Amino acid sequence: MTVAAGLGYVLLALGPSLTLFISVISRKPFLILTVLTSTLLWLVSLIAMSGLWRAFLPLKPTVWWPYVILIITSVAFQEALRILFWKGYKRLENILDAFADRARKPRLFLTDKMQIALAGGLGHGVAHAVFFCLSLLTPAFGPATFYVDRCPRIPFFLVSAIISLGFVTIHTFSMVIAFNGYAEGKKTDRVFVPVIHLVAAMVTLINIFSGGCLVGIPLLYFITILTLLHCGRTVWRRLTENQSRPE
Amino acid sequence: MAKKPKPTSIIDSIGEEIVRIITPVSTCMFLVVILVTILNTNSSDSPSSLNTIATVAYNETPSDSTWDKFKGALLNSLVFVVVVTVTTFILVLLFYLRCTKFLKIYMGFSSFVVLGFMGGEIGVVLIKGFSVPIDCFTFLVVLFNFTVVGVMAVFMSKMAILITQGYLVVIGMLVAYWFTMLPEWTTWALLVTMALYDLAAVLLPGGPLKLLVELAISRDEEIPALVYEARPVSYDDELGGRGGVVERRMWKGGSRVGSDIGEISNSNPISNLESDSNSTLGEMLAPLVQVNETRLVVSEETSELSVPLIDQRANTRGQEDDFAVEGIGLGSSGAIKLGLGDFIFYSVLVGRAAMYDFMTVYACYLAIIAGLGITLLLLALYQKALPALPVSILLGVLFYVLTRFFLEVFVVQCSLNLLMF
Repeated sequence: MTVAAGLGYVLLALGPSLTLFISVISRKPFLILTVLTSTLLWLVSLIAMSGLWRAFLPLKPTVWWPYVILIITSVAFQEALRILFWKGYKRLENILDAFADRARKPRLFLTDKMQIALAGGLGHGVAHAVFFCLSLLTPAFGPATFYVDRCPRIPFFLVSAIISLGFVTIHTFSMVIAFNGYAEGKKTDRVFVPVIHLVAAMVTLINIFSGGCLVGIPLLYFITILTLLHCGRTVWRRLTENQSRPE
Repeated sequence: MAKKPKPTSIIDSIGEEIVRIITPVSTCMFLVVILVTILNTNSSDSPSSLNTIATVAYNETPSDSTWDKFKGALLNSLVFVVVVTVTTFILVLLFYLRCTKFLKIYMGFSSFVVLGFMGGEIGVVLIKGFSVPIDCFTFLVVLFNFTVVGVMAVFMSKMAILITQGYLVVIGMLVAYWFTMLPEWTTWALLVTMALYDLAAVLLPGGPLKLLVELAISRDEEIPALVYEARPVSYDDELGGRGGVVERRMWKGGSRVGSDIGEISNSNPISNLESDSNSTLGEMLAPLVQVNETRLVVSEETSELSVPLIDQRANTRGQEDDFAVEGIGLGSSGAIKLGLGDFIFYSVLVGRAAMYDFMTVYACYLAIIAGLGITLLLLALYQKALPALPVSILLGVLFYVLTRFFLEVFVVQCSLNLLMF
């Protein structure tokens, strides 16, 4: 419904990411490159999944169990890719540290590593928002709007923007938790992230049922807030530990 | 309690040159996408047949069969590549005969034509579309001033760098928009053939671009062409103390060289003059990419700082190479230069993707940036003239096809059921 509404939906889904980008990421060119890389990686994983599932689509609208398999396979694939991302990051960290030693500059700080993890997560989140929400927003810039049968009270664009906002946050901060977990070797953090991802994706399954979005979206935001709290707690703990142990 | 100033970390400065070249490329692509979206919704009918050099062999109509379209597109792009090759060889000849002044004047003339006529035409369409209340005399004066400043920015190297960069991006955008008006199959065939031609022209021993680069290196001259130069990055450390810094000039071949020079003169007799100003623009801007690397100096530490992405192997190789004694440049601090032809073809790809849907735009954008990154890395590794088009264009076309046929169905299916992960 007009350019203003379209822009509103875009900002709803991507507003916090834009803020994060401008305040934290745009200051360091390396982080911008990290965001672009992780966005590309997420896109590649999405294309791979769509290639895999192309033969089975379009699914019949009445059955819902194929969607379960779809979600499980997609989330599993993305989590596997996250581990790959972590391995690549480890190698990059070694290269950067070696480079810093040669250039007689300090090695990567803890905050640097966390910022790189944040940039990686932001890339994933932005990719999700762009491909699941923004690319479908083109009609929203025109004169009309669209409603889905299963969620008839809110325009489709608004619902998808709200869900995308939740997922962007989850992706962004779970990457920080994940990298922390892999670095420290904590089992709980390592398991926390894939589980949260899977649970969040499953929760959106509730949206398939008529009127389900009234239950699904608040649940999703509950999970988002859980992720945020856990991430905040982990980061706080790491930073205070680091402070009390000056190296 | 006084706070100790935090020492700067290395991730503050690494990768800055790459970001400085990605930003204008992204801006150009973004502007072309906006133009395509606005101007194609305003005139919603199918594009009128363009009579240009690129469609001289075959003019696509919507009623042809797929095989016909494919054959016709191939024919068109072959003709185009042949014209480009001939023109590049003419350019090499002119450069060899030291007609640099002629080339520079022609460069200015072609920028004038692009900015004045193409820019003017788009301006008129926008004014009509948005009903901007402006009279023709004001418009002419503004357009004339705009064009003249653009020509001066291209000619003189003393202009403020931001203005020069801005004008180069605008020229790239205008030419790219013109290219997107070609029929669909022709555009895609053209992109792929130009990428392959670029590969051949720069890497094969008889390629015109390779000859040009070798000529320029042996004479230690700059090639007169439309080249975008990123603002140089200054490093505030040991570099100041270095006395005799040996600078090397690394070349990375872009698309065909020669801005719009020969092309305009060639296209005029061939193409049809009665269509709109489009016919004069059967050209391609094709400057060379020069990567001026102050970075690969003899000493190891400064080189490390200046070229953070170069592998250790490449550095040691650089020191033994007798290349280091050649091309002793002065003061021109290393800044990545990307030819305008690369800008144009990247933007054409993204503009064409925009004509289908925005999802393809995002996918192709990421593919092109990835290709650009890979090309820069390869350049750092191999340190010789490399073409900038092939990797990006081929990745872009691949992602376009994958997105259009696989991704879109998948995402729409999931999204409409409000199912996201």
